[in-house]
Amino acid sequence: MSSVLDTLVSQPYKHGFVTDIESETAPKGLNEGIIRMISAKKNEPDWLLEFRLQAYRHWLTMTEPQWPNVNYPKIDFQAISYYAAPKPKKKLSMDEVDPELLKTFEKLGVPMHERAALAGVAVDVIFDSVSVTTTYKEKLAEVGIIFCSITEAVHNHPELVRKYMGSVVPTADNYYAALNSAVFTDGSFCFIPKGVKCPMELSTYFRINTQDSGQFERTLIIAEEGAKVSYLEGCTAPKFDTNQLHAAVVELVALDDADIKYSTVQNWYAGDENGVGGIYNFVTKRGLCKGRNSKISWTQVETGSAITWKYPSCVLLGDNSIGEFYSVALTNHKQQADTGTKMIHIGKNTKSTIISKGISAGYSNNSYRGLVKIGAKAEGARNFSQCDSMLIGAKCGANTFPYIEVQNPTAKVEHEATTSKIGEDQLFYFQSRGIGTEEAVSMIINGFCKDVFQQLPMEFAVEATKLLGLKLEGSVG
Amino acid sequence: MNVTATHPYVAALLAGSAALPKSPAAWLDSRRAAALERANALSVPTTRDEEWRFTDLTPLTKLQVQPVAAAIKVSAADIATHVVPEAAMRLVFVDGVPAPELAQQGALSAGVTVIAMSDALKSHAALVEPHLAKLAGVGQELFTALNTAFLQHGVFIHLSKDAQLKAPIHLLFVAAGNGVAAYPRCLIVAESGAEACVIEDYVALGDEAYLTNAVTEIAVAPNASLRHIKLQRESQKAFHISNCAVTLAKDARFQSHAVTLGARLSRNNLNISQQGEGINVEIDGLALIGGRQTADTHTLVDHAKAHGICRQTHKTIVGGAGHAVFNGKVFVREGAQLTDSSQQSRNLLLSDKARVDTKPQLEIFADDVKCAHGAAVGQLDAEHLFYLKSRGLPEAQARNLLTYAFGAEIIDHIPVPSLVAALEKLVMARTEASL
Repeated sequence: MSSVLDTLVSQPYKHGFVTDIESETAPKGLNEGIIRMISAKKNEPDWLLEFRLQAYRHWLTMTEPQWPNVNYPKIDFQAISYYAAPKPKKKLSMDEVDPELLKTFEKLGVPMHERAALAGVAVDVIFDSVSVTTTYKEKLAEVGIIFCSITEAVHNHPELVRKYMGSVVPTADNYYAALNSAVFTDGSFCFIPKGVKCPMELSTYFRINTQDSGQFERTLIIAEEGAKVSYLEGCTAPKFDTNQLHAAVVELVALDDADIKYSTVQNWYAGDENGVGGIYNFVTKRGLCKGRNSKISWTQVETGSAITWKYPSCVLLGDNSIGEFYSVALTNHKQQADTGTKMIHIGKNTKSTIISKGISAGYSNNSYRGLVKIGAKAEGARNFSQCDSMLIGAKCGANTFPYIEVQNPTAKVEHEATTSKIGEDQLFYFQSRGIGTEEAVSMIINGFCKDVFQQLPMEFAVEATKLLGLKLEGSVG
Repeated sequence: MNVTATHPYVAALLAGSAALPKSPAAWLDSRRAAALERANALSVPTTRDEEWRFTDLTPLTKLQVQPVAAAIKVSAADIATHVVPEAAMRLVFVDGVPAPELAQQGALSAGVTVIAMSDALKSHAALVEPHLAKLAGVGQELFTALNTAFLQHGVFIHLSKDAQLKAPIHLLFVAAGNGVAAYPRCLIVAESGAEACVIEDYVALGDEAYLTNAVTEIAVAPNASLRHIKLQRESQKAFHISNCAVTLAKDARFQSHAVTLGARLSRNNLNISQQGEGINVEIDGLALIGGRQTADTHTLVDHAKAHGICRQTHKTIVGGAGHAVFNGKVFVREGAQLTDSSQQSRNLLLSDKARVDTKPQLEIFADDVKCAHGAAVGQLDAEHLFYLKSRGLPEAQARNLLTYAFGAEIIDHIPVPSLVAALEKLVMARTEASL
């Protein structure tokens, strides 16, 4: 199997990126030497190297999880190169960009000036994005918000990184989290100080800087007492990437009265119609509602990747804290998704809401897997879960695996799940009103996903709507 | 047949299998041997096994049990309270061994055969052979393997074509001894167009510690209809593990009612395989537990063919430091279009230490289906309590009434009035003793 993976991993860059392999990339394989090399290249302090090594040593004792409802050839972890310096990109002009890609942007309605950036055209040639980012950076710095890469944060704010990194997702948490802790190369760091409401959606900034953060990404967001932030990761535009395996870790910490909203739109390369290629997206995302009245809200729109394996979770430790999870997961062709959430109620009067919408088409397999756990001390905890599935075509699968564990009698837990399809009669009704099949399907799907889309920042909600339509083109009628 | 199990408790359980007399049929000997072989290879499931994630069998492994050759004498007076007057016929087993002197032979309709398994193996081998130890596959199920390895006693019920029996058949399994392992085996075969109702009733005379490991196999032919009522009132120190495997053919109808009140630890597996089109299934379950009891119910409804209907309602009432577990799997296979399957898991927690783990599970591989499941865990509604109190009912009585009403919904569906009355009394008494 490793030869299959080899070819996948070493596929040439399809979209005009060039990497100077000899000088910038670590040799394939993973050992303590490689980890020391990554740490040295990044000029990291000793404690971080120790953090990595500890994670690596634990990883060696672990085995790959077998329980997810997904199938893939065994990954050869020694066939992956774990370090590549920022890739020097060949500067393209807009004319050289794949016309298919441009057509997709057109359909999604991505603003003109962003298209270039997303297509991998060196931004600085075309737009004065430097000034844009600088403006944002200044604006954020004014209110005391730290928003930078993890590498910068390690050097400039080591005390914060050291205090919080690994506090939500411990290095030994699971197989892929341990791997990530050992070899992560970069990611984002965000710190909102006490009482500050972040003046903008951090998405805006992030989108213009579609940085290539690599396959082992690490994100850490900390909201101090009373702080508030909304963060958007990824984008609706198709993202081409040659890395087969993505194992990211995202940690959120909300202190008293803090509020973190984390939105993801994932549209990685999903492989072709026959399931060849595509990204394995194995992500550990967890938020800790550490303080009283804190709130963490996850919203995700998962449309890409050959395999998606992620469970954005909330640990509701503080009294009265709130956890939310809104998800749309769409699979088509031979994609597989096993996604859901975990809501761990520990504090008193904690509340959680889970809304999950799964859409399967083609030969794909879409599973919701969720855990709602009410601890013995979680007096008055409350959970509402709804997970609906929609099947398009007779060859796909939709599964739900909700786990409900209640150890406190004052808890109130409700779970509902339904399965439906797009009916002939629904389509006929639309057609009788002069609406074509494809548009009708898109409208029905949008109705189905409305509860989730309305949680997204406005402009992304619009794009996400179009994205789903695009993804399902040709699968009905 | 040698006991080579490496797991000490499995080896201890199997120790008695050597003393088992040869069965009247060679095919059964080979099936028993195969099951023993399988049991040798398996170990007692732990909470690391997904199927036993919430139910810890450690207390069982501390109890040494063996099958008895001859059971304690039980008199008719001892079982008087468990008599079901509506029943057409009653077979009684004490500690897993038939007690023909306690049986009551009634007038059965033509085509209805109800006899002890040991007799059926001699007189009805041709009817038994195609089904026995075939419907309930062993796979990873240690307890099914054990039951088959010890297969000797039980009941065979055969309903020939279009045979109909309105009055229920009562199978009474009485536990009397201490340290006993009982391995009752029931096989129910309903030929096409037949109809009957079978009550599987597990009771205890004292407060002994023992293991009941029951397996029931049911085959329902096209257009036939079977109602299966299972009551479990084992002693508070007992362990009860049962597996009921049902295979349904085209247009068959199957109704299941399971009421769990007893046992320190009980596990109920109900596996229903819908092998034909247009099958209609109804499953009702109620577990009322308290103290340190654990009640675990696992159901699996496999919709393999189109136009199947299934309705499930599972309720638990948990007091004391009780622990209720529910896992309900619903599979809709490719091609099982127009399946309509719904499942409800409702759980009522009455005390601080009570615990519920519920895991409904839907796996769907067909697009034109209606499937829904719901799960709820909560306590008595404060508004309902307030309403009753505003009508002059004291707090305790209001609570009892609401708890009772919650369980009565399941009990009232049982179409045997004397059982309904007995169960209602029992539930009321249990809620009044506030579990």
